[in-house]
Amino acid sequence: MNYSLLTVEILATLLGVGVLLADLWLPASARKLLGYVAATGVAILLTYALGSGAPADGTAFGGMFVVDAMSNYFKGFFLLATLVVLLMSIESSETLVGYAEYCALTIFAAVGMLFAASANDFILMFVALELITVTFYILVSFSRGRLGSLEAGVKYLILGALASGFMVFGIAFIFGAANTTNFYEIAAKQTELAKSPIFLVGLLLTVVGLGFKIAAFPFQMWAPDVYQGAPATTTAFLATGSKAAGFALLLRVAFGAVPDITAHWSRLILGLGIVTILYGSLCAIPQRSVKRLMGYSSIANAGYLLLGVAAASLSGGTAVLSYLGGYIFTVLAGFAVINVVVNRTESDDVSAFAALGQRSPLLATGLTVAMVSLAGIPPLAGFFGKFLLLKAVAAHIGTDKMFLLALLVACVGVVLSIYYYFGVVRAMFWPRNATDLTPIAVGGATRLAVVLCVVGVFYLGICPNALVRTAKQAVAGLNVPPSAAEVHTAAK
Amino acid sequence: MSDMIQAGLQHYLIVSVLLFSLGLFGVLARRNLIVIYMGLELMLNAANLALVAFSHFNANLNGQVMVFFIITVAAAEVAVGLALIVALYRKRSTAHVEDLTSLKY
Repeated sequence: MNYSLLTVEILATLLGVGVLLADLWLPASARKLLGYVAATGVAILLTYALGSGAPADGTAFGGMFVVDAMSNYFKGFFLLATLVVLLMSIESSETLVGYAEYCALTIFAAVGMLFAASANDFILMFVALELITVTFYILVSFSRGRLGSLEAGVKYLILGALASGFMVFGIAFIFGAANTTNFYEIAAKQTELAKSPIFLVGLLLTVVGLGFKIAAFPFQMWAPDVYQGAPATTTAFLATGSKAAGFALLLRVAFGAVPDITAHWSRLILGLGIVTILYGSLCAIPQRSVKRLMGYSSIANAGYLLLGVAAASLSGGTAVLSYLGGYIFTVLAGFAVINVVVNRTESDDVSAFAALGQRSPLLATGLTVAMVSLAGIPPLAGFFGKFLLLKAVAAHIGTDKMFLLALLVACVGVVLSIYYYFGVVRAMFWPRNATDLTPIAVGGATRLAVVLCVVGVFYLGICPNALVRTAKQAVAGLNVPPSAAEVHTAAK
Repeated sequence: MSDMIQAGLQHYLIVSVLLFSLGLFGVLARRNLIVIYMGLELMLNAANLALVAFSHFNANLNGQVMVFFIITVAAAEVAVGLALIVALYRKRSTAHVEDLTSLKY
């Protein structure tokens, strides 16, 4: 078997085990060092995966594990998110009990994401998702001394286990109807499977499990509580890595395994997307806790991404991937700042961010860029992702009027989001009654994380062509039917 | 012996769906975290039963391989889950879902 396809996964696992073991022999004073070692290791893996290390396309484990343009695209972003989260976590290396374990678990969750990017079989999909979810149960409740963290962990545990229960039951039905769990083999016989009610029920139940991961309506209940209660570094990883892993699998199932059924169900997915956007945007308006606000914002963003999945076209898939790329940079920039402020002030209320513009210009700039990009204002990455998504949705208005409704709702969502994101910006630069004006000292690792993400947000916003091209290749590799508009231009 | 009914695929599936519904009912109706957790395990085992039945009647062993993965993952999940519930109990002296109200807006 071709083990070279799994090089990145094997190296990442070894790094995680290494960090865990090193903790046994290193003195407590060297704990901070371990965070730097883990971050450096992930940075080396990232350059390796993006550069020479990317293996040629192929499959391993009897077609279960696949390396293609799609998996390489997502692996780069997962490693990037892991790197930034590890850099952020150095900030709390002194306060977090069991810091080395936190680093090791973060890396293990990343391994789960790497496998999820390559999963081409329902069995591997389930195992990879569970590796991510079970690790996150621990990461969410890691500040054991804080009741909020434990409570968030228990809520995530119950709802996560419920979602995996649904998904496993769905996979059993899919296996029963198709007599295989491989995505390629299912794609080959999807026309006859589309007539089997057992298969369709199984598919719906599986989508419940994925809907939980991406926090789409009606499986979004956990997101605000867990985002608020978890340590800020974990929340950042949940909002980027875990959500992107859910979308990687959703795209592989929807566009790779059953593209015809996806096109048939586009109104269902579109409806879910519309409700998700409205729910996230409306609930975000009265929030005072910035972490909870990010939870609702994450729900709304899952809604936008679902619109791209519903478009079930090459441009829709490309838009989803490009949006996710910009979204990961943006959210990481935001949480790198939120993490520092929450650590210093022990509060995640908007008032804790008051006068941040005076207390630390770097942090204030980072968070402002993140909020402006999330609100979708040019020339930042968030604008470009939204633009591509809405363009892909608009291409379908001619065939189905429901896409017009989706477009209108998305525009309303953007307008609402400007209001609640700029509430945070206003608190930072135009505070009502800021009492504490002492400067906040920022560690080198956080400084690096913020600068890296802000540069990424600007770069993807100003010259997104390279990213869009890679995204297009990735989606085309999944046999997506080109949308009507693209066939039209190709005919000319 | 000849008048005994041979159990077919649909019989196994009916039991499996019943088990699943029972588990789901436990999760939705019960208020104790441990009992909710038992319901969740019941749901996973319903899927196991369905997989083994499909595997037998389709003459395809892949389903039984999946069952092993589910059992392993469920064991890991229980280990982490019970540890979490115990940690919460130590802090809060309760395992009831009504008492989990510290996160609000």
